[in-house]
Amino acid sequence: MHKPNDTTKKVNTTGAKTNEKPNALSSYFSHHQKTYKATFKQLLEQPLASFFTCAVIGIAFVLPALLAILLNNIQSVQHNWDGSAQITLFLKKGVPAIDGKLLSETIAKKPSITSSHFVDNDTALEEFKERFELQDAVDYLDENPLPHVILVQPDKSLKSIEHIDQIKNSLLKFPEVDGALLDVMWVQRLNSITELLQRATWVIALMLGAAVILILGNTIRLFIENRKEEIAVVKLVGGTNAFVRRPFLYMGVFFGLGGSVIAWILINLTLFMLNGPIQDLAHSYQSNFNLSGFSFESTLLLIILGMGLGWFGAWLSVRKHLDDIEPT
Amino acid sequence: MIEFQNVMKRYQDGYEALQDVSFSMDRGEMAFLTGHSGAGKSTLLKLIMLMERTTKGHVIVGDQNLSKIHKRQIPYFRRHVGVVFQNHRLLYDRSVFDNVALPLEISGVNPREIGRRVRAALDKVGLLSKEKLSPIQLSGGEQQRVGIARAVVNKPPLLLADEPTGNLDPELSEEIMSLFSQFNQVGVTVLIASHDLALISHMAHRVIEINDGRMVNHA
Repeated sequence: MHKPNDTTKKVNTTGAKTNEKPNALSSYFSHHQKTYKATFKQLLEQPLASFFTCAVIGIAFVLPALLAILLNNIQSVQHNWDGSAQITLFLKKGVPAIDGKLLSETIAKKPSITSSHFVDNDTALEEFKERFELQDAVDYLDENPLPHVILVQPDKSLKSIEHIDQIKNSLLKFPEVDGALLDVMWVQRLNSITELLQRATWVIALMLGAAVILILGNTIRLFIENRKEEIAVVKLVGGTNAFVRRPFLYMGVFFGLGGSVIAWILINLTLFMLNGPIQDLAHSYQSNFNLSGFSFESTLLLIILGMGLGWFGAWLSVRKHLDDIEPT
Repeated sequence: MIEFQNVMKRYQDGYEALQDVSFSMDRGEMAFLTGHSGAGKSTLLKLIMLMERTTKGHVIVGDQNLSKIHKRQIPYFRRHVGVVFQNHRLLYDRSVFDNVALPLEISGVNPREIGRRVRAALDKVGLLSKEKLSPIQLSGGEQQRVGIARAVVNKPPLLLADEPTGNLDPELSEEIMSLFSQFNQVGVTVLIASHDLALISHMAHRVIEINDGRMVNHA
């Protein structure tokens, strides 16, 4: 048995609690640092299990992220499209070109119309021949079968199809006009598809987000289970709930971060694999559409979201299970 | 330092561990709590630690009525009470040093101060040379001394022990008890639950006996 020496006497004579106020903040941070290092080490001790958890989270992130990217690309197509439908007015046979031109100028002055362009039937035929390489076939025709045409561009601010349709109907009232064509069906369809995708993305993101939280909650629950004795002892020697929670919250954040990194890799791999076929497809439409990938902002968002979800999942689990562990 | 006023504790299953217990201990006093197993010794200590709450009556520790301490404040209260357990309750995934450092880390003591105080506590129990070992490499008596170092490292004014010598042979038990006496000599109030009557009779300290949840022989 050791006899007490000077140092220890000093320690024990005070008998009262000590306050370390000036160092409280630095010791708080130093404890955080210690906790996350220890937690990280703990996760590395079971590399495979930790990797699987991260991978599950990562895969859950991939689907909504890819949908969001798809949506983003569709929306960029919509933005590139000049925003309004074009109305094609076919003039009646026998209306002279000069009248057509005058009518075009009149229409251009109307409100809610940006521009109007008159195309006489000869020019149209030339274009037709060139475009479809039907030189010979056209030469067989006795007369030009095409009518004069006015291409009307409604105001770009008019997004609703109904509105553009109204304009089309008002243009039909001109006596020279034989018919009008408003090719808006595809715009309508694209809009509906975009909206559908948007909602689907949200629903899937919400469901998979919930799945991530559940997976994490369960994983953390197992860790809590394994460290029951430690938690009880920490509580016995005066550990607050925040202190007990801390390592588990860090764990959730690390899992979320790992999941985000794996998701990032998977997303970029997918985009890389899809890019070739998409280029081909775009090329066949004479478009040089480029699949826009994962921007720096999106990456940042993914990581923050991942860590946030991880933290939240851990928090829920810890909240539910820590209270059950009372020292006995 | 400790005052029990007509304390009754009934567990949820209806078992009455304590019935009408009243006693008090002065600051700086040392006492043994005895009684056969199941008499309510552990329950009594748990009430002081706020591991359990009284069903009736009041427990006052220091100047605080424990019934009035909110759940959230329990951790802060416990930092002023050192506890030693029969089975040590050490954490085997970390070194002796880290085990003893735990209460200080929890209280937010800065790391340099932690090192100094942990070594002082380990020195006091004679284990300074073993700070880097895992508790599992130590003998039962040594493990109990680590438990004691952990209980006193925060310099609590009150030290509780629940059968601290329960698993030790008589010689080691006496060592452990003399260690408690030393803490008492520097002003710490010490309450030790033990049924080792032979050992207790050696030591000239007050004995509080309970039997079937009631005070006996309240000296």
